[in-house]
This record gives sequence, C-alpha cells and structure tokens, in this order.
Amino acid sequence: MKFWKRSILLLLALVMTLSFVGCAPSSKTSEPAETPVAEAPTEETKPEEGVVEEKATWPVLIKDHLGREVTIEEKPEKLVSGYYITSSMLIALGLEDNLVGIEAKADSRPIYSLAAPQLLDLPNVGSAKEFNLEGTVALEPDLVILPIKLKDAVQSLQDLGITVIAVNPEDMDLLKETLTMIGKATGTEEKAEELINYYDEKIGELAKIATEDKRVYLGGNSAFLSTATGKMYQNFMIESAGAKNVAAAIEDTYWATISYEQLLAYDPDVIVVVPEAEYTKEDILKDEKLAPIKAVEKGEIYIMPDSFEAWDSPVPSGILGTMWLASVLNEEAYPFETFKSDVSDFYERFYDFKVESEKITK
Amino acid sequence: MDRSKINTKKYNRKNHLHLLVALVFLVLLSMISIGVGKYPIPVEDIIRISLGKEVDATVKMVFFGLRLPRTIMAIIAGIGLSMAGSVYQTIFKNPLATPDIIGVSSGANLGAAFAIVFLPGGTNTVAISAFIGGIIAVFTALGLTGLSREKGVSTFVLSGIVIGSITQGLIMMMKFFADPERQLAAMEFWAMGSFAGITENKLIAIIPYFFLGSIILLLLRWQINILSLNDDEGKSLGINVDLMRFVVILAATLVVASIVSVTGLISFIGLIGPHIARMISKRNDFYTTVFSGIIGGILLIIADSLARSISSSEIPISILTTFIGAPFLAYLMTRLK
Repeated sequence: MKFWKRSILLLLALVMTLSFVGCAPSSKTSEPAETPVAEAPTEETKPEEGVVEEKATWPVLIKDHLGREVTIEEKPEKLVSGYYITSSMLIALGLEDNLVGIEAKADSRPIYSLAAPQLLDLPNVGSAKEFNLEGTVALEPDLVILPIKLKDAVQSLQDLGITVIAVNPEDMDLLKETLTMIGKATGTEEKAEELINYYDEKIGELAKIATEDKRVYLGGNSAFLSTATGKMYQNFMIESAGAKNVAAAIEDTYWATISYEQLLAYDPDVIVVVPEAEYTKEDILKDEKLAPIKAVEKGEIYIMPDSFEAWDSPVPSGILGTMWLASVLNEEAYPFETFKSDVSDFYERFYDFKVESEKITK
Repeated sequence: MDRSKINTKKYNRKNHLHLLVALVFLVLLSMISIGVGKYPIPVEDIIRISLGKEVDATVKMVFFGLRLPRTIMAIIAGIGLSMAGSVYQTIFKNPLATPDIIGVSSGANLGAAFAIVFLPGGTNTVAISAFIGGIIAVFTALGLTGLSREKGVSTFVLSGIVIGSITQGLIMMMKFFADPERQLAAMEFWAMGSFAGITENKLIAIIPYFFLGSIILLLLRWQINILSLNDDEGKSLGINVDLMRFVVILAATLVVASIVSVTGLISFIGLIGPHIARMISKRNDFYTTVFSGIIGGILLIIADSLARSISSSEIPISILTTFIGAPFLAYLMTRLK
C-alpha cells in the first residue's frame, strides 16, 4: 500500500513537472527579455534614406494620445517600441537599426523576419499583459513608444526621467496621427507623410471602383462565429473596399459573438476570414449548418493571407488588406495580379524587401 | 424525522404539486423560447412544423438543427447543473457546495484552455478536451482522497480545493502564454459560457453521458439521502458509504462534464437552483433534488432566451444566470420564512 501511495504521488509530481516542461518552448522565447543587459546595437546607426531626409529642428513638442505634452530635446538615437504596430512603423520609417528593444513575441510577426530580421535578436520589453519596466530602463532608450493601454508604465517611465510617448492607432485616422507623431518625434516626417499619402491615394482609387454593394461577413480569428462590429477598424476596411459589413449594426467595440441563426439571417454574399484564424475554409464548407448561406453555396469564401502583417487591422501595411478585399470582391475592376504587384511595390518601397508573390493568396 | 405519518403524506402531495406547477411552467417557457431567435421563423411556420407539415428547407434546418437543440440544451443544462448541485449539497452536508466542489468545472476549464492554446481543430476538440479535463480533475481529487487516512466529507472538499487551485494555477499559466487576440479571448469567453454554438450534433454527442449520469442519480436517490446522514448511521443502515459516495460523485461529474464541455462554464445555476427549490418546498430530500433540477431548467431557459434576444450580439450566459438568479434568491431570502 505504501508503495502504491508513493508511486502515485511520484507520478503526480512527474505530471506537474512535465506540464511545466511542456510550456518551456514558449517561455524560452521570452527569456532574452529577462536579461536586458544593454545589448548595444551591433551596427551603429548607418545612414538610412529616412534619416538623411531629416530636417526637423530640435527640440520638438509632441501631444500624444494620452493628451500628454512631450518635449523631445534632440533626435532620439536609441528607440524602444512596446507595441507591434509602432515597431512595424519604425521599420517603414527606416528606423529599424535604431531600435534597441521591442515588444514580446516578436517571432510571431512575419513582417520582422521579412523586413528586419535583426529585430528578433533584440531584448524584449514585455507585452501589454506584462511590461518589463526595469528591462526598458536598462536599455537606456532616448525614446520609448508604448500603446495607451500601458499608461501605468508610461507614467512610471516618465517619473524615471525617460522620454515616452503613448499612441493609440486603432482606426485609420489614429493610425495616420500616430505616423505623423512618430515621424515628428524621430525626425522622419517626410517618410511618414509619404506613407500617409499612399493611404489617401489608394483609398481614393478604391472609392472610384466601388460600384457594387456586396454584403460581407468577416469571421474573426478566435472563432468563426465572432465577427467585426460597426465600431471596428475592420468595418472601415470593408466599407473602404466598397462593400457592406453585415454586422455593422452591432455596437460592441470588440469582436462580438453571434449565433448560427444570426449568421443565417444575415445571409452574406461573401465570407472573409481574417489572417491567422483558428479554422480553415474547409471547416466552413463542411459545416452543414452554414450550407444555406449564399456565400457558402457559391463558394465565395476568402482567407486573408497571413505571411506579412495582420492586414485586417490598423497596422502600417493594413491598407493592403483593404486593397486585397477590393480586389477579391471586384476582380474585373481591380485584377488580383495588379493587386499582387501593388503589394510588391508597397513592401519594396516602405519595407525594403522582395515579396514572394505566391504568398499573396485569397 | 420527527414528522408524523399524516404530515408526510401531506408534504408529499404538496411536493407533487410543486413539481407539477414547475413542470408546466418549464414547458410553457420552452415553447416561448422556441419562438425567440435571430433567424426569423414566423409563428405559422412553427405551428406547421409541430403539425408535421412541410416548410421552407432553411427554416426547417434552423428549427431542427439550431433552435430546438439549443432550447433542449438549455433545459438539460439547467436540470443537470441544478440536480448535481443539489446532490453535492446533500452528500457534502454543505449548503454552499456547487458542482465545482471537487473540481469538475475547473478541470473542464483547464481542458478547454489547453485545447485552445495547444490543440488544433476548433470547437469539437475544445469540447472533448474539456470533458476529459473535468473527468481527470475529479479522478485526481478522488485519488487524493483515497490516499488520505481520513476519508470523510471534509477530505473530499479539501481534495477539491487542492485540485481546484492547481487547475487555476495551470489556467493562469496558459493565459499568460496565450495569444491575447485569439486564444485569451476564446478562453475568457469559454469561461463565461454560451449556447450560441449549440447544434444538434453537439447535443446528440453529449446526451448519452448526460442521461447515464442522471439515471444513476435517480436510481441512487435513497442512498443519496442516507449519505446526508453521518457516515456511522449510513454504515449501520447497511450501506457501503465510501463506495456510494464514489459512485454518486462520478454520476454527478458525468452530468456536469457533459454539459459544460459544450456550453462552457455556467455559473450560479448549480448553487441557486437547489436553494430556490428548498426555500419553496421547505424540505431537503430527493424530491427537492428533482424539483431543483426543474427550477434550474426554468432559470436557464429564461437566461438563454434573453442571451439571444436582448442585444444584437450574443451575451455570455453566465452574466445572465447571475443577474437573474441572484436577485431571485435575495427575494426569496427576504420574503420567505
């Protein structure tokens, strides 16, 4: 009996230990963050195009999205970005070599390995869930850029005498504001303006070809029955692409859960699935409850590609998601091949890498 | 125990009346609930369907594939969770016992969280993993009790607390590693419960386990009453107390795990159903367990009808069970003697 008791306890202990080992791979990726020993950027700021265009006069005064007024005394050389959207922006602004620390889970963002693989080796400063205050301080940054949801960390860094701006790029206008703000703060205003002009130009072009009113259902990435509401960036994306979001009437500000019945009542013409969803097109096709929906009957189901950035969200290359959707919905006016070359041009111009066109799928 | 025979008879009749009224109420509410939903099904169509006449194919599919399974699921979830709660309150001699007392819900939650983070395959995988998680948690708690010298009620409760804490820790760990956009949101929503994704297939998949567990509980009604006495009295009545407790717990676990694996966690029903039933019937025996099951069904059918109708998106069911159940319990507490 004693033997049994012991062996069962031993087994229990073993199971618990193993459960920790099971989580080890993911914890290892965040390990470098825990050792923020000032890993000095190996290549000292080599002149980038964006930097050369510098013409701002220092100091500059910035009003950030928390309404704080921040004075930046001189052009910041060492940057920390605690938010994937701003990290990607810094690449687009040609400042990837000035980054000394970025947010956690950088390896889950394909855009980094494509455009600036050196970012993956940078110490990570944590996420919105768990921000690494000390690690950030240890990097001795000249400027820290954080999302507004980290406002406690913003306050703490400010108290420690570190220059920090908080941004909230959650729709198109705020994204542009953020770009302008970061452009101003880092002396890369012209590049930021170029990107903003690109957005305006493309939105204008898309508005011209938007003739039909297809009704689109956007399946969220956690579950097919979660969808983007009228208050979200994704709604803007659908409307800019010349279509209607079937769930536009929902007032929630986050992905809303709906029922099968609701989806059948919406009866969308086209179903679009956001990048990195947990389910596939086949899952939708083989779900017999969804069979009566027009989009399913006609096979009008499209999955956004996930090889670059989350194109359905307000990331710097999010405009491509809107263009992708416009092309998917209206091939005649905007052929998919044209779209593909637009993607190549965009990433070559702003991110300086060559796109493998077979990664652009629908 | 000190009641005279006449009194018992009167009580029984009164109990039957309670049951009957509650049952009629449940049937009425179910009928109303069947007419509530996002897909427009006109009343004429519902009548045609119930008369066995032909209707539009999509309407038919919505009715039989979604609306009816969802309503049935809400009823059996209410019945199952409330009955299990009542049985646990009886055998653990603790009015605050819930179906989670020996870890079935937290185990299911862990199983679901694990599937959301590590396993591919969507809602079916999550349901299977949640079911297995719930069963494993209970077996671990039972095993822990078996290892202890003292095998009384308090040991079960303590084992439940130990297992519950470990699972909570593991869930927190998974939440920490989860992707905040997809997985964390899915985990949080799972823990609030919903009937939005119920289809006939899911209902059919869990019904055997639900019935197996419920039938065992019904057959053991006499033994469950004896388990509410102290163990020595039970033994003197010729009952293997330890074995009975084990079987009853397993049956209740089967009921609860089969429900929450497809609906997610539904809070409060397992606690409040039995209390409301006891306050109305003023008794604490197996009738009350059945009665509390029906009360649970009524509460959940109301909650789910609201969940799918008051807002343009689905409202997680636990929000409504709490908001409907708690005030009602408060009312009974203050009004009834």
